[in-house]
Amino acid sequence: MRLRRSGLGLAMAVLLAGPALAHHSFAMFDHDHQVRLTGTVTHFKWANPHVYIDLDVPGDSGDPKHYTIECANPGILDRSGWKFNMIKAGDRITTIIAPLRTGEPGGLLKQVTLADGRQFNNGGPAGEANIK
Amino acid sequence: MKHPLRQAVRAAIATGALAVAGGAPAAPNLTGTWDHAPGVKLDPRVTSAIQVATPPLKQPYLGQWLAQQQQAKEADARGQPLFSGYTQCLPDGMPAMMMAMFPMEILQTPGQVTIIQEAYNQTRRIYLGEKQLAIDDAEPGFWGHSVGHWEGNTLVVNTVGIKEEVRFRGAPHSPAMQIDERIHPLPGGMLQDDVVVTDPEYLTMPWKFSWKYVRKPGYKMLEYVCESNREYEDPKTGGVRMRLDDPDSAPQPPAQPAQR
Repeated sequence: MRLRRSGLGLAMAVLLAGPALAHHSFAMFDHDHQVRLTGTVTHFKWANPHVYIDLDVPGDSGDPKHYTIECANPGILDRSGWKFNMIKAGDRITTIIAPLRTGEPGGLLKQVTLADGRQFNNGGPAGEANIK
Repeated sequence: MKHPLRQAVRAAIATGALAVAGGAPAAPNLTGTWDHAPGVKLDPRVTSAIQVATPPLKQPYLGQWLAQQQQAKEADARGQPLFSGYTQCLPDGMPAMMMAMFPMEILQTPGQVTIIQEAYNQTRRIYLGEKQLAIDDAEPGFWGHSVGHWEGNTLVVNTVGIKEEVRFRGAPHSPAMQIDERIHPLPGGMLQDDVVVTDPEYLTMPWKFSWKYVRKPGYKMLEYVCESNREYEDPKTGGVRMRLDDPDSAPQPPAQPAQR
């Protein structure tokens, strides 16, 4: 499992900047300790109120760990350059997420890198990745 | 030397209004897609950058409202933002939809101006030249019953009949709440909505705020059906939680033929 943590202290900036246009507050995600995950997409759901990526990430013991990654909605992503079918089940992708504060395997997408190398953010309201 | 008439026409075009005989500006053509003006922070329910003044609520409602705001702030600090109707996929209704969180479309047709907000496919219809309904006759809804008329280049709108559960910034209101709007073009092609909320039961004075919009040329509105909501309310904390299983991969009952 590829996992890196960063403590760049940007959480307050992210929170104060405000998740305008959000379906809910982003306070349930830890923007200060972003995580990089590489894995295989098991499902890509392009729908409102949020697009979701379900990702299996190889674990230390060999068994994959399943992550649920929340993205913005199709409208915001459309306007950020995404396309509804640019991710498919079986794709190997790398994501940077703000993990759930509960410690559960899920989070808010900050950046995704597709198998062909193209990178996309999650639209302005979600905030930028603060790790590489 | 610049021709005065040409200058006047240019100015009229810039403000979206064309002068008519008699000097009064005609109704501008607002048809098209619009977006909130850049740099404007929106949705004060989830951000500290409040663009709308605190509602001038009477007591004890103001005290209750302030306590709710504090509760929401503390819940955010705990990482457990409070669940809301919006999280539950309910549209925000009036006047919140006029924040233009997402792009909006204005359609002018004879006798009616229709405003569509992309988020939740919200639609409000403003009936021109009609008399407003009595409060008791206006069936409560998310967008209410709106009537309007043109005063020069300004669309003057009155809305009644907002459900009591539909609360802008969490402020309570009575069935007697009215929303008055003056929607008018600004120089440079922008549009402004000056909103005044009155409610003799809950407000000490009119609650006033404005929103600005810019055209979004060529933009085609998207559909918004809230079909895949993985957020739910934690029964213990009242906060938002996210489902971690993939609901689409769970066994589904066999599809039934549509009933008509």
